[in-house]
Amino acid sequence: MKTCPYCGYRNRPGSLFCEDCAQPLHEDARLMTLQTRQIEDDEIDLLSQSTWGTASFEQHAIVIIHVRDASEPLHLRPTADQLTIGRADVSNPIRPDLDLTPYGAMENGVSRLHAAIARNDNTLTLVDLGSSNGTFLNGQRLTEQTPRVLRDGDEIRFGRLVTHIYFQDENGF
Amino acid sequence: MAFDGFDPFSVLGIAQTATLDDVKAAFRRVARRLHPDVNRHPGAGAQFQYINNAYEVLSDPAQRSAYEKARTDDDPEHPYFTMRVTPSRRRIQPLDEPQVIYLLADIFPDPRATQDSTERETRLNLCLALDRSNSMNGARLNEVKIAAHQIIDLLNADDIFSIVAFSDRAEVIIPATHVTDKPAMKARVSMMTASGGTEIFQGLNAAVEQTRRFLAPRLVNHILLLTDGHTFGDQMQTLELARTAAKEGILVSAMGLGQEWNNKFLDEIASLTGGSSAYINSSGAVVRFLNTHVRNLSNVFADRLQLSIAPDPDVKLESVFKLQPNPQPLPIGQGFIPLGSLQRNRPTSVLMQFEFPAGLTREFRSIARIVTVGDILAERIHNFHAMSDISVEVSADATVENPPTAILDALGKLTLYRMQERANEALENGDIRQATRHLENLAARLSAMGEVELAQQARAEAQQVAHTSALTEKGRKVLKYQTRHLLLGETTGETT
Repeated sequence: MKTCPYCGYRNRPGSLFCEDCAQPLHEDARLMTLQTRQIEDDEIDLLSQSTWGTASFEQHAIVIIHVRDASEPLHLRPTADQLTIGRADVSNPIRPDLDLTPYGAMENGVSRLHAAIARNDNTLTLVDLGSSNGTFLNGQRLTEQTPRVLRDGDEIRFGRLVTHIYFQDENGF
Repeated sequence: MAFDGFDPFSVLGIAQTATLDDVKAAFRRVARRLHPDVNRHPGAGAQFQYINNAYEVLSDPAQRSAYEKARTDDDPEHPYFTMRVTPSRRRIQPLDEPQVIYLLADIFPDPRATQDSTERETRLNLCLALDRSNSMNGARLNEVKIAAHQIIDLLNADDIFSIVAFSDRAEVIIPATHVTDKPAMKARVSMMTASGGTEIFQGLNAAVEQTRRFLAPRLVNHILLLTDGHTFGDQMQTLELARTAAKEGILVSAMGLGQEWNNKFLDEIASLTGGSSAYINSSGAVVRFLNTHVRNLSNVFADRLQLSIAPDPDVKLESVFKLQPNPQPLPIGQGFIPLGSLQRNRPTSVLMQFEFPAGLTREFRSIARIVTVGDILAERIHNFHAMSDISVEVSADATVENPPTAILDALGKLTLYRMQERANEALENGDIRQATRHLENLAARLSAMGEVELAQQARAEAQQVAHTSALTEKGRKVLKYQTRHLLLGETTGETT
């Protein structure tokens, strides 16, 4: 199987373009897309630079979500089921697994059930659950209910709430 | 004798020095691949006759020596066109899941054959079937008249020309004749008026009759159908007529003007006969479109090209798409697929997609046999052919091969065309979410490729679908025909 790095669709080997989203799958183009994601910043230590942008999520890895302007990052362990992200509301019995209320979810237009992160074999996907103000992955708005593969260092925006996602080994750095 | 123009040695894949035992062994080998009993694909059925004929000739010493003598008496081998087939990879790994491979076939006229035929201009037997229903009134009909005038100017006395105008009935404006009295022809065109509804069968039927009058294998027998409306109730009848016309050697190209015509139906007419279909955005573009089309026709080197694809029994043919000269999807369920005409100055290219089964054994193995036949107009040669057997190596070697640029380029654009087809399919099934998604993916890819305007159109249609559950007629056609045109690597100039 050739998993599309863009939408996570599983293509047959030999496919040159994703049958689901038309993105190129062959090595040349994949290298090219990765190259554009390289950041040239001396401030970042070598270790984080070398893992920048990887889509592979190891068995024991955990996710760290930095919400912009928040002091403490969130540590999460995604499960095979969806890990829902949203805003807890007294009038609604549905609680998201990750409640963003402390980070200004209300003011920034986060929906009660906004998005979800799910774990595949060795990738993570992000899916928008029909939010009012949209979920943006690296600035691009997601289509509802369409999973997209996450990479280490991606920017995810829930409505106007900006977060960054990092993958980390359980043993720390 | 059963000799059919094919080289029996290459059909069986053996050298000319082969003994009778070699011939028998080779026949068994090919039959295991392509005999209709083991290979259900229509292409195999169509090609097996050549194999049988080749065996008949070579297994009989008398026929074989007669063939060898005739061959040496002939002029030295002179290819009129050649076919080059490129696979997307030359090595595949034995995997426990199905995998995909693409083949790109380019058919070229032989440079030697085209050089000395410059004086022998291609001769046309052309019929224009023009819609003159009420909706054509005004600017549209005027543009059509101007276009017809210019076409008459383009033709010469060797060409045969006719015009049929149709609404709910057909009228022969100019009966099929040599183009000698141009002013009289133009005068008759000028007198056309618009009235009535659109019944394409009426028009096509009259056009086929006119074309039949001078029907000849050495001519480009072509009907150019122009309409701006839906036809009702006579679609099956029309398609049947197109099939008959194709058998007789008449190609039908269909052009839709404006938004109100049935693109699926016109595409089907064209692909049944090997003609092309096109979308003319505005009446202002009619003249240019028709002119270009007729000019291309007079550049035809070989006509009535047909492609036969016979995959090995375990290989599945998934789709066939003509990349140029006029991009269009081709039907796969028939032994011979009409390809239309081969032009003097550019190749005809076809992209095929196959699926290999899981669990291949490590060996050097064949994928498919591909045959193209066609009529060489200037030389009056009927059913000239080119044949190619494609093989790959199944090996555990995992070195990454770079796919050929030509395939990557074509497939990248073809995937976009497929994406809008899938959006349409999703819409027909009422799956709005899926349709929106396909359109948004299409928009994303288009803008990544620098097709800004088309990307905007796709994005606008995605919103349109999300809100109204339907594409606009214009958007549907623009996306379909312009993503198709990307394959030609040139802008269509279809701006409004």
